[in-house]
Amino acid sequence: MKVLLIEDEKTLAYEVEAFLKKAFYICDLAHTARKGLEMLGVNPYDFVLLDLGLPDLDGLKVLQEAKKLNPDAAYIILTARGNIEDRIVGLDLGADDYLPKPFSLLELQSRMQAISRRKFNVSTHELNLGEFIIDLQKRVVSHSGKEIELTRKEFDLLSYLLLHKNRVLTRMQLSEHIWGTFADDDYDSNYIDVHVKNVRKKLSAFGPVEWLETVRGVGYKIRN
Amino acid sequence: MNLISKLTLFITLSKLAIVLLFVITLPYLIGGIARTYTDYYLRQQQEKVLEVVSKNGVESYLQGEESYGSYTMLKEEYISLEPVAKGLTIDTVYTDQRIIEQDTLNYRVLTYSFPADSGTYMMEVGKTIDTIDQYNRPLQRIATYVLLGLILITLVIDLFYTRYLLRPLRKIINTKIRNRKFPFNENSIPVKTSTTDFQYLDNSLIGLMQQIHEAFEKEREFTANASHELMTPIGILQNKIENLMGEPEVSELVQERLIGMQRTLNRLKRIVHSLLLISRIENEQFSKKESLSVTELFADVLDEISHRLNEKEISLETSISNQIILININRDLLFQLVYNLVNNAIRYNKANGSIQIWDQLNSDGSYEVSITDTGIGIPEEEIGTIFNRFKKANQSEESAGYGLGLSIVKSIADYHQIKIDIISEISEGTTFTILFPKELIGNRD
Repeated sequence: MKVLLIEDEKTLAYEVEAFLKKAFYICDLAHTARKGLEMLGVNPYDFVLLDLGLPDLDGLKVLQEAKKLNPDAAYIILTARGNIEDRIVGLDLGADDYLPKPFSLLELQSRMQAISRRKFNVSTHELNLGEFIIDLQKRVVSHSGKEIELTRKEFDLLSYLLLHKNRVLTRMQLSEHIWGTFADDDYDSNYIDVHVKNVRKKLSAFGPVEWLETVRGVGYKIRN
Repeated sequence: MNLISKLTLFITLSKLAIVLLFVITLPYLIGGIARTYTDYYLRQQQEKVLEVVSKNGVESYLQGEESYGSYTMLKEEYISLEPVAKGLTIDTVYTDQRIIEQDTLNYRVLTYSFPADSGTYMMEVGKTIDTIDQYNRPLQRIATYVLLGLILITLVIDLFYTRYLLRPLRKIINTKIRNRKFPFNENSIPVKTSTTDFQYLDNSLIGLMQQIHEAFEKEREFTANASHELMTPIGILQNKIENLMGEPEVSELVQERLIGMQRTLNRLKRIVHSLLLISRIENEQFSKKESLSVTELFADVLDEISHRLNEKEISLETSISNQIILININRDLLFQLVYNLVNNAIRYNKANGSIQIWDQLNSDGSYEVSITDTGIGIPEEEIGTIFNRFKKANQSEESAGYGLGLSIVKSIADYHQIKIDIISEISEGTTFTILFPKELIGNRD
């Protein structure tokens, strides 16, 4: 997958680039809107990550231009302006998603995955986890053809861990993904643990769940 | 009473008063004019008599008699001459009664003495004033009618003209003041008028609105910029830590340190988020045109927060009995308000405590929802300050509340003209009552 990141804040751009490369994306950087549009005119991209607060052109105009140059790409708006109107206008102009800064790189990847499934229909919907099959499209977990009932939040938790498999996710990262801005700041509380415990309990009735590991003092990870 | 009604009333009353005054004074006026004219007429008669006397002598009147008297056929006028004591001088005009052939009549009488031949004679010339009064009444009536007619015409003209004249003012009020919403985003069109006062007023209003709008935009821009400036470095740090944590060679110890950093950073992020949210609310950057059902609102909040209830094993009892639809509100903000209050009720509750949520419709049309917890309570002296920024309900408590939750509640409440009442008892619990004014209550289902 080819990603173009149009972001004027270089340090931030390099971090995103490093992360995406590690996640096996091919990532190009543009630090100005003009450069970004130029690159879009030459190369086809699957994803365009667009910062709205670019110094040379108005972000929403850039989005319109970019969509003309490359209508097939998926567009994710990144902005620190926090204007609700920007979000509405951005989505109206055909952006596929919107991430307010500061965002978590894990969250960015999760959104990109979701768009891939929805838009490009390329990512595999069904993933094997031990004896379990997880269908990300239909949002169901099954074991030898039998569906296992998980709550919305339990499924979110499981799929987020699965998306970032072999990586330890902290309780904070998990709760931010699941509760968004309403994630509380009392990170030591155990409601993530309660959710994980519930998932384990529900799944272990069908088969072993040793792939879902607790990393002491840090959080959880799925080993595959 | 508006200007037009006042002007109409004033014009009508003042004209009526003038008419009344004129009608009342008319008899005196006419009487005065008539008297002056009669006096003048009598003087002329006197001149004529004196002329005759100086030419032909007084005997031409007396004809050997001692005195002379004559009156017209209808006794409207009379003249008399008689000798008086020598040296007597009289020259007056007065109103008096005279009896002529059994008729008592009111006359305006001129008395004048003059020397003629060998003696002094007194002349009396009289004119009845009944003839004068006779005209007075019809004159008065006609004058009244004519005046009333005239006044009616001028009144109509006046009213139409003032209405026409004041039309720009009405337009200014309707377009610039009555139907304008802060912060005056739409452009103002100047009202067309040739009246300089209205032009001045209109231009001043447009200018003021423009100023407010600009100040508001500047503030908005500042918030957006501040948001950008603060959030970008936080974002960079967050992503750096995330990337570091993904490195396989990072040891467990470093991993733990990184988590600590992430927490601190997150705390900073939340504080900045909250401050920017408050500033956006106070800067009125949220629309208030949405509506929301109270049952739905509380259901949403409880759905979002239930994991926290489970975690602290707090029981919750909700009895929202009224199907209230809130109007002119912002859904996200109201969600945040209720969320923060319920969250506080959980956070400051005891383990195995309980929370009760109930509502009540007041007789004045307002509506309230109360959230009662069995928590630590708030000391009385702190109730007044708990909405202040960075104020913790309990300083000794080592919970991670940074005191912005209730500040956000306060700004959202103020923004919607919602009142929040607090009743609290130490170690018994606290009740937060959200009082929605009747302006926010839509039609009930």
